[in-house]
Amino acid sequence: MADTNRKIQELLSDYAGALRDGCLPVFLKSLTRQEGKTMTCSDDFWEAAEVVRVLNGVGFADKAATADVGLFASRVDANIASRLKRAKRSPRARRTNGARSMNKARKAEKPI
Amino acid sequence: MKGLNAPDDDRRRRAMEPFVRETFQMFIRYLYRYLGNEVECEDVLEDVYGDIWEKPDRLRDVESERQLLRTVYLYYMRKRLREVYRRMNRHLYLSQNDLTNLTAPELGTLDTMSQSELKHALGQALGRLKARERRAIELWLEGMSVRAIANELKTTVGAVKMLKFRTILKLKKMMSEYCREE
Repeated sequence: MADTNRKIQELLSDYAGALRDGCLPVFLKSLTRQEGKTMTCSDDFWEAAEVVRVLNGVGFADKAATADVGLFASRVDANIASRLKRAKRSPRARRTNGARSMNKARKAEKPI
Repeated sequence: MKGLNAPDDDRRRRAMEPFVRETFQMFIRYLYRYLGNEVECEDVLEDVYGDIWEKPDRLRDVESERQLLRTVYLYYMRKRLREVYRRMNRHLYLSQNDLTNLTAPELGTLDTMSQSELKHALGQALGRLKARERRAIELWLEGMSVRAIANELKTTVGAVKMLKFRTILKLKKMMSEYCREE
């Protein structure tokens, strides 16, 4: 990806390669201003990119080495537990107990 | 999906485990399309399940697997996928819109198809290609680099990139036709 002024077919090829190898950030960082514009203006690129993603899913997703489902479920549970903890501590929750700032309280008071 | 919409936090939390077991493989394969990296897929999916636990309302009326995948992508995955690359955007020559279209796009016609349907449609489309075009795609799907494909086809790297680009556009047309017929 050292080439600095890639044509649309080269950009698609590099995007497909980066997606297949799981290093999309490297491709994104390699883009120059001119290449970014080329991509924006090309409808063909976006159509082809959709197929590239499909090929990536069909061709490689089955070969991906994923974690054990049981272990992953406990990761999710830990994530939920930390969200619950955060929700209990969050200042927003405390604000719902009827306490208001002085300004708001004054505005709400009816003038005599 | 039982208990996922319960108002009680703990009941919903208990309902998450069977839901994760049931959907993990399907969701991770789907995410892999966009990330191509197992570690990132798992990180994103962990947050997606957390979001589902927090706000499961969108899944209330889901009736089929396809509908579930579509809803989860549109309302939970897409947001998380955008976050993966959002911080990078400061250093990129790509507009926010293009970055979103590349990393967390709107659902196209092909995105709504299930894995088995896609395999079938792709198989059919590959069968209709010219031998050289089909070979280039098949070699790429085997994991070969562009240079290796060029060596195999006895041509240049540039020619392989052009061939791949044109073939992919052809595939897109054929698969869209398949979608319409179905």
